[in-house]
Amino acid sequence: MMSEEDESFAYQNFDTIFRQILQELGVSRSVEAFRIMADPDEPYFLIAMKLGRARSAVRVLDMAQLDSHADGTSITITDEGWAPALLTKLWQRYGRDRVEQLTRFELLVRGATVEELSDLELDPGEELKTKLLDAVWRLFPEGFKVRYELADDKAMTIIGTEHDMKEKWIELARRVQQEMCVAEAA
Amino acid sequence: MYEVLMYDGGVYKVNELYELVEDVGGFVIQKTQIQVQIMVTMAIPEEERPAIEAKTRELGGKIVNVPLAGTEIAVVAPTLGRHHMPHPTCDIAEQLRRLGAITVVMGLARGKGRRTAQINADEKAVIEEYDAAVFVLGNFKDCIVEHKVRLFEDIQVPVAAVCGPQIPSLPNCEALVCGVGRKVERMRREEEIARLDEVSEAMERVIKARRKELEEDPLFVHPAEVKDRISELEAVQRSLRPAPVVLHLDGLRVKIPYQEWKDQIAAVEVYGHRLGDIATLSDSRLGGSTLIKIKTRSEVEAQDGKAGAK
Repeated sequence: MMSEEDESFAYQNFDTIFRQILQELGVSRSVEAFRIMADPDEPYFLIAMKLGRARSAVRVLDMAQLDSHADGTSITITDEGWAPALLTKLWQRYGRDRVEQLTRFELLVRGATVEELSDLELDPGEELKTKLLDAVWRLFPEGFKVRYELADDKAMTIIGTEHDMKEKWIELARRVQQEMCVAEAA
Repeated sequence: MYEVLMYDGGVYKVNELYELVEDVGGFVIQKTQIQVQIMVTMAIPEEERPAIEAKTRELGGKIVNVPLAGTEIAVVAPTLGRHHMPHPTCDIAEQLRRLGAITVVMGLARGKGRRTAQINADEKAVIEEYDAAVFVLGNFKDCIVEHKVRLFEDIQVPVAAVCGPQIPSLPNCEALVCGVGRKVERMRREEEIARLDEVSEAMERVIKARRKELEEDPLFVHPAEVKDRISELEAVQRSLRPAPVVLHLDGLRVKIPYQEWKDQIAAVEVYGHRLGDIATLSDSRLGGSTLIKIKTRSEVEAQDGKAGAK
């Protein structure tokens, strides 16, 4: 196991750069606590995060205006940042045939009512997970390509190594994941 | 002995400076003009420095010491991934550029990892084309001491290693700077700037030692003198690359294709000799460039002696 004395620089540096990465991606507040463990002798590198609450779900009415149309409902997007997520969600629910993109900001959903669409919510949890995985990818030592991931709503643990993943490391990851779920926010 | 200096000032009457440099037997190495400001790197005989300083004062400019001028240095990262780029690799390269060096940033194809980190013969040969190399390593002491040191063993040019943890010494390198490690932001804090200064000081020491080594058996001509002649070649004048002729401590890199221009370059006359006779010309591993290694005075004399005997 890497002694914190021997590798104190690495411990401090990884801690600093992970905080900076989270800040850069705008998700610092979504990670309540994190733990980085590594053993260069074995070698493995582990990072575990206790996830905070994702932003509350975003409703379609918060980012677009809905109007009834002869064929269904027309949507005028007011916050373009959400456009790709909204389009993906509409495609999933109504299929590509029923969703027509008229212009950059205007969509037409055939056969859908305004009430039905105004209840639609986008899931920011997915977006958060993508950003956290990006942060982990940026932090992880580049050569440690063999990875094992554990994730649930409360915590996410990723362990990586250079060659074969050993069962004892996966056990360690499971243990840390459990500890992380009940960890106090830092 | 030539001294390399940089004039930093306005373009007004800068021609007078060029004339003075020529009159004292010096050379202009590089001119970088930004609107009405100009930076001129020049090599002048050491004893003529007061004259150049006086002219600089007269023109309202200033003289900047550029201890690394006339060198080309490779800054090598284990890969070009965002784990090493742009910080700190590019920050170090920029620091060396500020002291006059021409730098290139290189990433190895398979330098990442621990036991998997490796460097191939081609990469070593490319690094050896430069005057010196800086290897920018990471955070884990064990990883650097046990594995990464292999990346720069057998490299024939001086190497400075930069890493994160405090390590008393490393084999295979001439200088070691600790306390840098991985960065995701520009190195702009006070302690980070101090580390960058340490890197450039280490590189200055390495280059100084190499210069001293070369002085023991001096080159037949200073590379700046050869540059002056080579710059007259039509192909060089037509070259659109930012610095078509780059000085090395013991030669030059001319950024025109070797195969096409080797005969013309060899035919350039320097102090009554063909350049081909007083230097070794070769193709650069980086496409489209020619490397010139100037022979030492004793080598040329021995060569002349043999030719005379025949």
